[in-house]
Parts: sequence; C-alpha cells; structure tokens
Amino acid sequence: MLEKQPCYLGIDVGSVSTNLVVIDEKDHVIEKLYLRTGGQPINAMRDGMKILAEKLDDKVRIKGVGTTGSGRQLASVIIGADIVKNEITSHAVAAQKVIPGVKTILEIGGQDSKIIILRNGVVYDFAMNTVCAAGTGSFLDRQAARLNIPISEFGAYALRSQTPVRIAGRCAVFAESDMIHKQQTGHTLEDIISGLCEALVRNYLNNLAKSKEIKEPVVFQGGVAANIGIVAAFEKALGIKIVIPEYHDVMGAYGAALIAKEKMAAGSSPTNFYGFQTADNEYQAKSVECHDCSNLCEVIEIYSNGDVLARWGDRCGKWSSLGKASEVVG
Amino acid sequence: MPKTVGIPRGLFFYEYYPLWKRFFEELGAQVILSEPTSKQILDAGVKSCVDEACLPLKVFHGHVLNLVGKVDYLFIPRLTSVSKNEYICPKIGGLPDMIKHTLQGLPRIIDTEINLRKSSSNAYKAAYEIGMNFSSNSTEIRKAYKKALQSHEAHKEKLKSGILPDEIFSKKSARIHPKKELTLDIAVIGHAYNLFDSYVSMEMLAKLRKNNINIHTIDMVDESDINQMHKALRKRMFWNFGRRAVGSALHFLGREGMDGVIYVMSFGCGVDSFVCDMVERRIRQNSDIPFIVLTLDEHSGEAGMDTRLEAFIDMIRWRKLNESNIPAYG
Repeated sequence: MLEKQPCYLGIDVGSVSTNLVVIDEKDHVIEKLYLRTGGQPINAMRDGMKILAEKLDDKVRIKGVGTTGSGRQLASVIIGADIVKNEITSHAVAAQKVIPGVKTILEIGGQDSKIIILRNGVVYDFAMNTVCAAGTGSFLDRQAARLNIPISEFGAYALRSQTPVRIAGRCAVFAESDMIHKQQTGHTLEDIISGLCEALVRNYLNNLAKSKEIKEPVVFQGGVAANIGIVAAFEKALGIKIVIPEYHDVMGAYGAALIAKEKMAAGSSPTNFYGFQTADNEYQAKSVECHDCSNLCEVIEIYSNGDVLARWGDRCGKWSSLGKASEVVG
Repeated sequence: MPKTVGIPRGLFFYEYYPLWKRFFEELGAQVILSEPTSKQILDAGVKSCVDEACLPLKVFHGHVLNLVGKVDYLFIPRLTSVSKNEYICPKIGGLPDMIKHTLQGLPRIIDTEINLRKSSSNAYKAAYEIGMNFSSNSTEIRKAYKKALQSHEAHKEKLKSGILPDEIFSKKSARIHPKKELTLDIAVIGHAYNLFDSYVSMEMLAKLRKNNINIHTIDMVDESDINQMHKALRKRMFWNFGRRAVGSALHFLGREGMDGVIYVMSFGCGVDSFVCDMVERRIRQNSDIPFIVLTLDEHSGEAGMDTRLEAFIDMIRWRKLNESNIPAYG
C-alpha cells in the first residue's frame, strides 16, 4: 500500500460560503471546495468533509487543521482544529504566498469587506466594514435575485453598459430604491448594474480605504472578486491593474491551511483533527425567533449530546456570541 | 435610619465614585450603587431612553431604573464643566432633565449643577448645596468635602498606577505579570464609561490582558504631559475629554516602546467623532504606529470585535518580529 501523502486542511466558514482547502507539504492546493453555507454551516462542513473523504481519504493524511471566518470557532468545535485564526491574518498569509510582495489586499465577502495594507511582507494596516454590510456579496446576491439574473452573469451585464447611471452606494436601502427609481424611468439593466458596481466600489474606497495608501501589486479576493463588473469598476476608479488570484474565492481557507502547516512544523504535538468521518456525527438544531428588533431573526441553536455547541442566524450577533465560552484572541 | 443615596453605575461614576461616596457617607448618608451593567439593565435603558442617544446614555437610564424603589435620593449632578474653560458633552449637561422627563416614578433627584468652567471654587459651592440635603451644619459639610477630595485624589493615583476601576471598587487585582518577551504595550483611548464598563466594552480590557498586553489609558498620563501636548494644537479643545484624549494620544506617540493605539468610540458620539478623527490624523501623519478604531454599539456582536482585536494584535506581533524573520501569526 502506498504511503498516504501528508497534507493540511484549511476551513473558512463564512456567512455566505464555506470553503475547504487541502494543501500538500509544498503549499500546493490539491483540493478546494467552495460551498454555499446556506445559513447552515454544520451541514456545509459535513458536505465538504464528505466530498473530501471520497476524493482524498485513501490518499492523504491530514497533519494539521486551521479554521477561519466568522464560523471559525464552530468549525474548530466540529472538525477539531489545531489553530483558529481571524480572517485578516489568514487572507494576508494566503495573498503573500500567491503574490509575493503584495502591498494591498481588497477583500469582499458575503457579509463583510476588508482592506489589508502590507509593507515589507507584513500586515501594516487594515480596516473592516463597520456597522453596515452594504456593498458586500449578500447585497449583490439579493439584487441579482430581484432582477432575475444569475449572480454569475451579473458582472457581464455591467461590462455591456454604455453609460452607467449614478446609484447611491452608501446604504443598501438607498441603493435599492435608487435602482428601482432608475429602472422605472427607463434605464437599461446593463447601465443600472454597472452603476451599482461603481457605487459599491466608491463606497468601499471612501469608507474602508479612507486614508489608506493603495499601492501595487493590488490583489482582489473573496467571493465578489469573481464579479468582473466590480473588478472593472475598481480598475477604473483606481487606475491600476488588479490581480485576481486563481483561488480568489477560497483564499481565507488557503491561508488557514498555511498557518496550520506552520503551526504544526513549529511543534511536535499531533493534530486535533477528528478525521474525515467526524462529520457523520449527529447534531440537533433548534430555532427560535428573536423579537428584540424588527429584523425578527431566526436564531438557531446547535446541540450535540444535549450540549449547546453554538448559536447563529442573528444579524446583530448577540445570540451567536452567547453560545461559546469567551474566546481568547491572538 | 440613614438616608439612602443611589448612584447609577454609569458615565462619570468611574472617575468620581470614591469622591461622591465619601462625601455622602461623611454626612451620614448611605450610598447604594446600581448593579453592574447587564443585558437587563441595557435592555431597560434602551427601552426607556430616546432613540437617538448614544449607548452610554441608554446604559445610564438602565442604571437609574435599577435603583428605583431602593433609595431616598438619586444623585445625578448636572455636570456642565469639570475644568476651566472646557465643557462636557451637552447630553451629559442636560442629563437630569432628560432623566426626569423620560422616566417616571423616580425618587428625589439631587441635580445640583457642577460648573467649573470659570472657577474651580464653584466645586465647593456645589458640594455645599448638595450637602444641605443631609446636614445644616456648614462646618460638617466642608469637612466632608475635604475628606471626599482626599478620596478622589487617592482614586486618581490608583488609576494612574494602572489599576482599573473595577479592580479598585472590588478591591481585587486582576493584573497579570506577563512573560516579558511577549508583552506588548498598547494605549487604549476612549471614554472611561466605555472602556471600564466590561459589559459595554465586551471585556475588551480583560481580553487584551489575556494576550499579555499592558494597557495604557488616559488616566495613566500626567496632566502636565497632556497639557504640554495639547499646547501643540492650533486651537485648544472645547471639551475636557477632547483635551485629555488628544493630549494623551500624542504623548503615547512620543513614548518609547508603545506598540499600538486603540481608539474606542461610541457609535453616534459627537465628541468622539471629532476627537477620534483628530487622533487618527495625527497618528497617521506623524508615525507608523499601528492604530485601530473600535466602535461600540448595542448591536455590535462580540465576534466582530474579537476578530478586529485578534487581527490587530497579530499585526503588531507580526510587524515587531519581522526583522528577526520569525512568523508571528502561527
């Protein structure tokens, strides 16, 4: 029997997508998965683990696991992680590996957006969006659904525009009413979508990137980097070329895998990984409607063997922060 | 039976509680403090307070409600100014009116104005007026006032030495003695009622300490150092907090070995919006010290803050160790 190849697993459980990346000892990606979280990160993780098990279980041996993303604690609980890292560090580590000397990372995910400034190979400054998730992937998703366009074609529509219309980008609610207004006065879908892409980029640059020096090379990653309309709007606004890494949609997971590899190399302890079969365990979910604000979010509680493992489903985060023991940062 | 005076655990409590307590006790009154901030207190405050107010004011409303039915008097002084030619936030100046017109069924409120804008001798006049509620003997009131000032000075000394208000009031020191090589020195600038209310700040200071970080606050800087830095501004600050925040931030900038600055602001705070921007501009223009703004609001989920704190600490460690080429993110 052939010896199993030593590998490292990185998992990024985000609000919209759950990504898994397996790398080998040479940091090459040997498998990557981009799955929709669909509000059920455990299911997404189980699906991911099943797919990985079928493809890799007889070929690889996982030597270390890193988790990241807003569901990083949950992923750590269920999969058994060696290191739990924030998204900023994970994205920075991954971008550095792919584009050595990268100076600026633009990242737009499902619910948050970030800018990371690197100088001399280290994170020098960063910012994340504050209270509002306007201009992130989930808003684009929603608009695509409203306009009856597959999100994958959203960017192509934008590129066909001749004269983009001006859309308010500061607030998702205003942006939507602006879009509806423009659509009712007869502007084409292409021009409206292109206007929206420009508005999101304007909002990003004016808020997140305020007082930050955007130097080349600039890397754009996160799910939204797949949107060629947004990429074009960034290039137009900044007047520079933007690099989209091959694995732009799973860079967080790739970074987590790299960090796990580094961690394991530094120590001699074996991995905490529960194995690919762990995802077969049963988890019970209970949902409660929260009446504290007009959002009326459905909060989900996850139990395994009678213990609460995690809570989520709330937009504001007050329930999700209840279920876990206080986290040690750093 | 002694008269009871209720002191809400919010706003200027963290700076003046020992002074107020000693004064009332010297005059034979019994001081009753509201319970530490909790979800219940926050919820009660949010429910009763006007919607546009900042979080600290809402929390204060909750503390007032927590004392209803337990005390003869509520002590809510009208703090207009605590220093020469400087003001306090107008919402705090109008606090007694706000409370009286928002909340019903309150005990008698001692709302004597404290206005030291023109002369600090007004402090004694205010104390005399407050003392008259408990004694008609002016010598007794003067004596109580002097003792109270001694307690206040002692409190300031303790704060200056780095003991946090929580530890002073509970007489339990939670200070850690971090391992030397991993210790970071970080300045945390913000209103005392945000930093030191561990519920509001989501245990930020405790989390920093867990990560071997020495915390430096405004209270730990010499008044003379603050004033010296403040003089460098083109125009003097309008607010007492503004002078102390900008002055101490500039002081920290010039101090050897400061590894980072965190500015903690309240969402919707007018004073913070000016002061934070001034601090940020000066830090960015005159140094490359890591700087981050954390915004506190009732909805900011803990996970969001943890991610930012974690990434900030990672960034500092990574930057620091860069020269010796040891990756610090793992």
